Amino acid sequence: MNELDKIPVRQELSVAEGNVKRSNPLANVFDELVRFCQSRSMFMLHYCTGCGAIELPPAMTSRFDMERLGIQPMVTPRQADILLITGYVSVKTLKRIILTYEQMPSPKYVIGICSCTVNGGMYWQSYATAKVLKEYLPVDIYIAGCMPRPEAVISGLRDLMGDIKSGRADNWKRYFQNYDHYLGNQQKLFGEDWQTPTDIIAEAEHYGLMTDQTLGEHTALLQKHQQPLEALEFSLGEKREKIQGENPREKNNE
Amino acid sequence: MTALDYLLLISAITVVIALLAGNMRVGGWLVTILYALQGAALLMMSGLGYSTLTVVQSSLRFNVLSEQMLWRFDALSWFFALITIGAGLFCSWFASGEWGEKYRDNGGSLRLFHGALALNVFTMLVLLASGDLLTLFIGWELVSWASFLIMALAGGKAFNYAMRYISYAFAGAMAVLGGLLLIYAEVGSFDFQSLKEAAPQMQASTLWLLVVLLTAGFGVKMAILPFHLWQAKAYAETPGPGAAFLGAISSRMGLFAFIVVIVQLIGISRLVEMEIPYTFLDAQDLLAWIAVFTIIIPTYIALRQHDARRLLAWHGVGQTGYMLLGLVIANDLGSAGGLMHVFNYASYQAMLFMAVVAVMHRTGTSDLNKLGGLFTRMPLSYLAMLIGIIGLAGLPPMNGFVSKWLIYRSLIVDGSPLLFIAAVIGTLGTILSVYKLIHNIFLGQLRVEHAAVREAPLSMVIPMMLLAAVVFVTGYFPGLVLDWTSAVQASIGLPVLAHHLGGVDMKGGLDMIWIVSVLLVGFGFGTLVFFLGGRSKRVHQLDNYAGGHFLTAETRYHYSDNFYPGLMHLIGPWYRNSFEWLERGVISAVDILSTAMQGLYRNAHPSYLLLVAVVFALSWVIV
Amino acid sequence: MHFYELLVELLLMPILAFVIGLAMVLMMRRIGARIQRRVGPPVLQPIYDIIKLYSKETQISHGLMHEIGIIMAVGGFIAAMTLLPVPGMSGLTDKGGAVTLAYMLMIPSLGMALGVGQCANPNGSIGISRALTAMLAYDIPFILVIFGASYVYGTTNLAEMVAIQQQQDVSSWGIVQMPLLALTALLILPATMGKHPFEIYVAPSEIATGPMVEMSGKFMGGLFVMQCFQLYTAGVIFTTLFLGGGVYWITFLPKIFLVVAIPMSVAYLFPRYRTEDVLRLMWKWPMLLGLIGLAVVMK
Ligand code: SF4
Repeated sequence: MNELDKIPVRQELSVAEGNVKRSNPLANVFDELVRFCQSRSMFMLHYCTGCGAIELPPAMTSRFDMERLGIQPMVTPRQADILLITGYVSVKTLKRIILTYEQMPSPKYVIGICSCTVNGGMYWQSYATAKVLKEYLPVDIYIAGCMPRPEAVISGLRDLMGDIKSGRADNWKRYFQNYDHYLGNQQKLFGEDWQTPTDIIAEAEHYGLMTDQTLGEHTALLQKHQQPLEALEFSLGEKREKIQGENPREKNNE
Repeated sequence: MTALDYLLLISAITVVIALLAGNMRVGGWLVTILYALQGAALLMMSGLGYSTLTVVQSSLRFNVLSEQMLWRFDALSWFFALITIGAGLFCSWFASGEWGEKYRDNGGSLRLFHGALALNVFTMLVLLASGDLLTLFIGWELVSWASFLIMALAGGKAFNYAMRYISYAFAGAMAVLGGLLLIYAEVGSFDFQSLKEAAPQMQASTLWLLVVLLTAGFGVKMAILPFHLWQAKAYAETPGPGAAFLGAISSRMGLFAFIVVIVQLIGISRLVEMEIPYTFLDAQDLLAWIAVFTIIIPTYIALRQHDARRLLAWHGVGQTGYMLLGLVIANDLGSAGGLMHVFNYASYQAMLFMAVVAVMHRTGTSDLNKLGGLFTRMPLSYLAMLIGIIGLAGLPPMNGFVSKWLIYRSLIVDGSPLLFIAAVIGTLGTILSVYKLIHNIFLGQLRVEHAAVREAPLSMVIPMMLLAAVVFVTGYFPGLVLDWTSAVQASIGLPVLAHHLGGVDMKGGLDMIWIVSVLLVGFGFGTLVFFLGGRSKRVHQLDNYAGGHFLTAETRYHYSDNFYPGLMHLIGPWYRNSFEWLERGVISAVDILSTAMQGLYRNAHPSYLLLVAVVFALSWVIV
Repeated sequence: MHFYELLVELLLMPILAFVIGLAMVLMMRRIGARIQRRVGPPVLQPIYDIIKLYSKETQISHGLMHEIGIIMAVGGFIAAMTLLPVPGMSGLTDKGGAVTLAYMLMIPSLGMALGVGQCANPNGSIGISRALTAMLAYDIPFILVIFGASYVYGTTNLAEMVAIQQQQDVSSWGIVQMPLLALTALLILPATMGKHPFEIYVAPSEIATGPMVEMSGKFMGGLFVMQCFQLYTAGVIFTTLFLGGGVYWITFLPKIFLVVAIPMSVAYLFPRYRTEDVLRLMWKWPMLLGLIGLAVVMK
């Protein structure tokens, strides 16, 4: 029994727990309304990596009908609130998952379906599989099982709804706040010159989510390799600037 | 000296100054100021032309063969002259700054350019001032040669296209001459008034011949079907602002002559009486259908272009159809719409060409497949193009909507569903192709090589912005232009449209002041709703959905070529280039004929020919 | 005159349109769910969605035009709503009739198209190219219907059309006067709403929802708001042209909901057409019917 208890179901809850209330009662009501709506309207992006994907169609269609809980499938990361990782994650796939996650607008939640996302499951010995998903992304809910039944999926989603409603589900902030940690793990797996076309640090700065854990040795390494990704700003006058995001290799050729 | 004398004199001086000082740095500005002076002379005639313009005579007149040749301005000439001088002013302003320098550095002769532009304006004013059929023809010829001059400036390909134009223009001029001689034979005078009096008594067959000859002759300049082939290429290859000028007003001279002779003197009501045997159509319907096909076919040719200037030039051909259609319908709504469209179209077409030329100035290409994402780099040119395409597509709140609305409404009043639908098909096609235009140039991904592109210089941006203001203001208060068109309607004897500052008062009318205001307030509320949401974060264009793919600058992530594949899949096979075939057929027929003639005349024993001629002559004398 | 009354009307009309539109979106989703033997979303689901989208904490924008595009899309519809007569309110219907309305409704689409273009995503551009093609497909029969109705009623003013239809009982309704044109309008209705089987420009599995591909947060929220207006507009135009329009809300509401429900019930039964097939379909049967209908009413 002890062994089973060790299987994480939720990642450690945020420090902010119980501290979500604002002093202004009106603002508080407003926040609560917003959180309620967020919990009742979840657009999900199902990143169908492994076997677990097969459990989603029954969960969505007439048997279990997720839409009655306000959960709808969406197509691109921009539109989605929750990222479902449905099974083992190979290293190549993980790159795409991280890009996808970074492109999603916050608040965003990650659900790891299947045991493989918890600890590698039966791919534990595989050289090509990223075993513990939460090392690379902040996972909100794990739904363990090989594979979990649709009931389990829905129950997991309901847990997430509860968390969102009560304001506890703010793991997405961790990614900005502890970016250095996550980036470090990613770099360990993908190599030093790992980068995505998204700019997490700028986003954290823009929305005031920077902490002293955001930047560190790993982000320093990133910034050494990364082409700066500033949005294209207007230029009316003499300002000349180079387009960014250029491939470094091409530059060397010049 | 009357105001008209001043106008023509200043215009002639402009030509001289442009030829003398065109190459100098100040030359362009000097010429621009002279255009402004021409505008002042125009305003001298009648303030802003509020329906009070009486005929202004020129003191220059002389007699040829007992025919008096005279020049004068009425409301119609004034209206067209306003557009001509406005187009000249803005285009020469546009050309005077950096564009001109670059043009000269690239080996172009700025002197010739400014001279040709000024000459175009001058000859057009002469044509617009014509007071009888003889002066009309003289003006017509002058205009043809002047536009040939400016088209041929760029040399090379442009010269070929200009040659093509001039052969069309010759044929057109011959048709016009034939028509005028026919009139002289019938009426015995080149006077406008006597033609007007004689027209109702003319025989149907004479009238038919007349209408066909004159419509074909004037139609060549307008590039109505089937004479539409020359225009787009010739205009597109004209250097920069010259294309803007030609596109805006040049081919309207054909419309002007058409209005004077067919609408004003012969009268549309006379056309209605001319039935085509064995059909239920009459001459008016025939013209309306020609107009409608002139809308549809060139518009859908434009849809296939991938050069911005060609695309615009083809739309120019198509938009002519709306003007002709409105005027041929000839009720108060339709003719007002047609005339107003002349003004509106000139304003946004000049602006659109300018925006494209500005892009070319900075990037060196107008190929729609080699551009993209310039919005952040050239925002003001983008604004100009946006306003222009809204006008060209005929959507509110720009002025193009009002004139097209008038034409649609006249077709509903007239009860012509097929013409109406055809006109709308043209508009829809326009929307498709202008979106492609703005998308491929300004939206989508910015190319690496254009990263350092800057906004066009002020000398180019200010004329664009002023024209944009014109397009918007005359869309907001269409009454401003409708005042002029009403004066024109009155002077050419068409029913006058009852209007007010905001539009038309009738059952199911239009009040643009309300519509535009409510649209602007709607945008205001839209902004409010937008800012209800959280603060937005601008991201780099490579931070983009690509199905998990990592985008880099070397990946071209942009959609431009074959922009409407679904549509082309269906209608692609309908493009058969039949008119090109026709043209080639005519050319080879003429070729064969001329070779045969040459063979006969030069090579095959002239003495035999002489003998034959002598025998015939003798037999004629003897018998 | 009743200037203030008019102002109140102008304010009230878009708000009502939005609320009714929300209900229509709910109805649409419920119908879809029922056809697929599901329960469907709860009653307030459309509101939850919109609030959630607007309250996203990071809002990703691709630049100024992306933002202006969404503003134009919502604002254009807000403005266009004042041209649609509803019971007790005729707003600006006398300032611009059916033709003006038809062109006003293109402003939001243009705004969206420009916004999507700025996103620099080819999926979005393909979506717009398909949307414009679809517009070319259904607008031609639509304009035919508008012409026929304007001709029969002798005006383009929508409020006057309602008044004319209300002169007698059902027999003076447009649907009795010109049944063929009404049928044409009904046939193109699903295409104007961009629903199955004509959702070529959304095509989630093909071009990743086309125009919506880069829309997140309030941008997507703006499109959701736009959808409410879109459904409402389709219902009201059809009702005004053919079903006697609105005099009392109690009869008006069932009519517009019915109009929207018909294409919805059909929509979920069919797979998607290809672009050229949409064109072919729209230019064949609705055009044919419309032309015959026009010939009948104009004879
Ligand atoms: S947990 Fe089992 S079912 Fe899920 S991905 Fe791993 S092996 Fe497949």
